Amino acid sequence: MADNPTTITLTIDGQEVTVAKGTTILRAAKQAGKDVPHYCYHDGLSSPAMCRLCLVEVEGAPKPMPACVTQATDGQVVHTESEQALDFRRGVLEFYLVNHPLDCPICDQSGECKLQDYVHEEGRKHGRSREPKRIFGRDDFGGDVLFYGDRCVMCTRCVRFMTEVERDARLTVVERGNRSVIDTFFEEGLEGTHWHGNIVDICPVGALVSKDFLYKARAWDLEHTDSICPSCSQGCNISLHVRDNLVQRLKPRDNLEVNGFWMCDHGRLNYEWLNRGDRLEAPLVRSESGVRAMGWREALAAFLEAAAGAAGNAVRAVASPRASNEDLGAFRALVESLGGGDIVYRMSRAADEVVLKGFPSLARRRDLAPNGRGAELLGMLRVGSDEGTGGLEDVADHDGIVLVLGDALDDQAPDFGSSAALFVHLATHASAASANAHFVLPITSFAEQEGSFTNLNGRVQRFWPGIRAPGAARPAWFVIGVTLAERTGSTAPRSAAESFASLGSSFPPFAGMSYDDLGTGGALVNQPVSLSGD
Amino acid sequence: MSDAPFRNPGWAGNTGGFELSEDQVRGDDFVGARSVEGDHPSTAATYPYMLADKHPEAPLFEGDFQARFEKILTRYPTKQAALLPTLGLAQEVRGHVGPESMDRVAELLGLSSAYVRGVATFYTMYNKAPVGRYLVQVCTNISCNLCGADDVLEAFLRYTDSEMGELSEDGNFTVIEAECLAACGFPTCVQINSRYYENVTPADVPKIIERLAAAGPGEG
Repeated sequence: MADNPTTITLTIDGQEVTVAKGTTILRAAKQAGKDVPHYCYHDGLSSPAMCRLCLVEVEGAPKPMPACVTQATDGQVVHTESEQALDFRRGVLEFYLVNHPLDCPICDQSGECKLQDYVHEEGRKHGRSREPKRIFGRDDFGGDVLFYGDRCVMCTRCVRFMTEVERDARLTVVERGNRSVIDTFFEEGLEGTHWHGNIVDICPVGALVSKDFLYKARAWDLEHTDSICPSCSQGCNISLHVRDNLVQRLKPRDNLEVNGFWMCDHGRLNYEWLNRGDRLEAPLVRSESGVRAMGWREALAAFLEAAAGAAGNAVRAVASPRASNEDLGAFRALVESLGGGDIVYRMSRAADEVVLKGFPSLARRRDLAPNGRGAELLGMLRVGSDEGTGGLEDVADHDGIVLVLGDALDDQAPDFGSSAALFVHLATHASAASANAHFVLPITSFAEQEGSFTNLNGRVQRFWPGIRAPGAARPAWFVIGVTLAERTGSTAPRSAAESFASLGSSFPPFAGMSYDDLGTGGALVNQPVSLSGD
Repeated sequence: MSDAPFRNPGWAGNTGGFELSEDQVRGDDFVGARSVEGDHPSTAATYPYMLADKHPEAPLFEGDFQARFEKILTRYPTKQAALLPTLGLAQEVRGHVGPESMDRVAELLGLSSAYVRGVATFYTMYNKAPVGRYLVQVCTNISCNLCGADDVLEAFLRYTDSEMGELSEDGNFTVIEAECLAACGFPTCVQINSRYYENVTPADVPKIIERLAAAGPGEG
């Protein structure tokens, strides 16, 4: 001990674990691969030790110890699965079920409910309580949150989230004992708070549920895909929860460097656009005889021909801060190949940041797109208003080559690009302006492709495809890569990883970076990023 | 105020920062009105005020009450710690601690309204709604229960013609159940405002009600 005061060694279920001094038994057990059941403890919150479910047997201790607040000590012998420890938990779980309605078949949390899990694993097979259950019914907390008081286990994670992390103590425990229930200040509700969706995530049972997700899908039917929130430049790590090829909800994914365990309500509820049905599904090629849908091979051949014909014309290009680094890099290469020129992009800008006070490095940032920083690092220029409109006056009536990636041009006049010698629109959705395009090429949204975004701080983070792309839509990096390979006789990138790796040769910020380095947590670009823009 | 020589036995000497003379504490300034014959000692330091004749919308706080509120603040290291006595003061002013009072107290102490609601609802001695001139608390805990507390409770409800926890029609009575009043030797025990009524049987109830209804403010 005296030689090495920073670590201690204890025995958990017969396994020796060495942990940093000050580690709680629960964390130490986690390091040993043991998950001690718990409700009130959460990595991002304080530990009140009030759920009494993490009670473990510590040799020499006169009574069961709550693992979440008991510091591990050197030479301690802990049993988390001994007969006695199981007995503690069986008793506690039985009390949890005294008033629980057991309405799992109609409960949204079913399948991802800790009460369900623990009772299934360790609880008694039959309840012994013959008393009538007390009934609270359901309460609308405002915002996206519904509260079912009967299901609540009074862990107070939600109260502590609102108090400690959101720092707007709208929730409290009202009354005491058997009558205690979570509530807001009478009719005040959670309206006007910006992070309350997180209390639904951290609720271990079905007491707090999302109105948006209510009765939409069962937890076990959802496919989870790691992704990055596309709603602002913070780049929160999220999971896409998908059923039937439709995104059903977004959930935050832990990443202490970026978003901790949280995400904002703005991002959480901004996913319906991924499920839009009016997608472009095949390349559209316009000629004198009208617009015709084609296969990719034919369309790209026609495009190469048209590109050769339009050579020498000046290029004006518009990109989108919603496109991935790979897409933007490929687009840049396409523009260079056609003669070069400035690439502009437009991005909505909110009036204020919405900072999460208890985790101040996380905020709903002003820039409402995930990859504005990536576009900037790839040498693109921001234009237009704070609403993400305008700014394309000299592109609209340009008579040379007009290339547009990702930007749907929804705000543009119907004659946008009508005087262009060659107008190529790579987009997910058609708009009035795309009717003038010689080539409308269907590309995938971020949820349908692999790729990476660069967040506000220059952290490059990967996302993975969660839903299938509609029709013949393909990732932009792939479409452009194949086109350029045909045009220059080089090799097209075969994967997003290759596409990303090739960015480094032209753009120093990305030099030497590869998907292998990024992992699931992301990594910073090479050059320091100035934060003055925000 | 009665002329009875009531002396508060709760004086624990000067506590330092709180500048109150012994006379102020022992005297009747802080104890409200009490019955002529005095009370059971156990009630002496409980309710420092009576529940009747309060103005449910009286301002929080002004005049003497403002001065007392400021004194309360000096006794605690943080404003949050002063919450309980402040709620007590609010109840003294208004007779109950309703949503507006909680909101106002939260504002005064820089706490969230929800938190204040949580604290106020935790403690049973804060009335969350206006109560009658007489708050009748019938103990229904084990000893009293075995000696017929349920019948006593029912009798109180019947003779005051009110629902549990609701104000009676004449505004005189609110009857509630209480947990153990620590008078297990004298079941059934009923606390009416600050005063204990012991060994109450259902037959006593009409007499008690009659006497209270006839009594003036602050008596009984």
